[in-house]
Amino acid sequence: MSEKKFDGVLSSVQIDALREVGNIGAGNAAIALSEMVEKRVELSVPKANLLPLAKVPALVGGPETPVAGVYLRVFGETRGSILLLLERDSAMSLADFMVNRKLGNFDDEKLRRSALKETGSIISGAYLCALSELTGLNFKQSVPAFAMDMAGAILDHVLVGHAECEDYVLVVETDFKVEGVRIQGHLILFPDLGTLSVILERLGVPIE
Amino acid sequence: MGPTVLIVDDALFMRMMIRDILTKDGFEIVGEAENGVEAVKKYAELNPDLVTMDIVMPEMDGIEAVRNIIKNDPGAKILMCSAMGQQPMVVEALEAGAKDFIIKPFQPAKVLEAVRKALRGEE
Repeated sequence: MSEKKFDGVLSSVQIDALREVGNIGAGNAAIALSEMVEKRVELSVPKANLLPLAKVPALVGGPETPVAGVYLRVFGETRGSILLLLERDSAMSLADFMVNRKLGNFDDEKLRRSALKETGSIISGAYLCALSELTGLNFKQSVPAFAMDMAGAILDHVLVGHAECEDYVLVVETDFKVEGVRIQGHLILFPDLGTLSVILERLGVPIE
Repeated sequence: MGPTVLIVDDALFMRMMIRDILTKDGFEIVGEAENGVEAVKKYAELNPDLVTMDIVMPEMDGIEAVRNIIKNDPGAKILMCSAMGQQPMVVEALEAGAKDFIIKPFQPAKVLEAVRKALRGEE
């Protein structure tokens, strides 16, 4: 397998292939989410994009925007990290849906954080499952970490533990509606160096 | 008293969810563990009828915990609870001796069905 470093230019076919991963992943994630909250989840067409790292904070409204982040490492046949960033208000609504409806009026911060962490892990799993099906590669996930902080701080934290990564990240905008409440967030895949070329090759659209 | 269950999951939320589903159906939750090391220890202590086992956990993962529990009690009934992307690990867990698996998130009916099946000893 070639491990070419990605230079930032993708053909439209390659972008399409990555979008398809995003689409199927988002579909999986919507099913998972709807089972978790026991409500119908409406899904808008997800937008998948490959972006330079530096542009990530702007996605969520700038480095100082308060967000909830769930972070985990991906290992196995290829390596990388996944960060799910949810707008703070979206995260709060989601935690409400899960904790209050499921377990009675349990106003326990620890439980809410645990619910969000688990959601992040399950949504990441849903996307990884799509990636695994389309590439034939096997992945394992690490234990997730959770933080409620400014977007910039969370990203710095992720990048510090991630020396050998590509300069580009795959971003899937996730936009769900649960009972009319909008849950907005971004799922960001940080491929380790060389990973992107392996994924594109497996998707049948190799970097030339 | 219904069958006794040990719930193993590092996520407090998941433990509460499983506890909720099972107690409503008459099962008795005798213990909870948040990693594999604790799970092995508590299994030996409590000797439950069934274990629900998460896969990705700190300290010792669920697969290693299954190996350890089965080593000491080949008849142990363990049901794996894994997230969608973890299928390769599910296969490993079944090889290690787990009876069955359910995919997170859980629908109560599916959990109960899998739990009853595992208790009957069906694979």
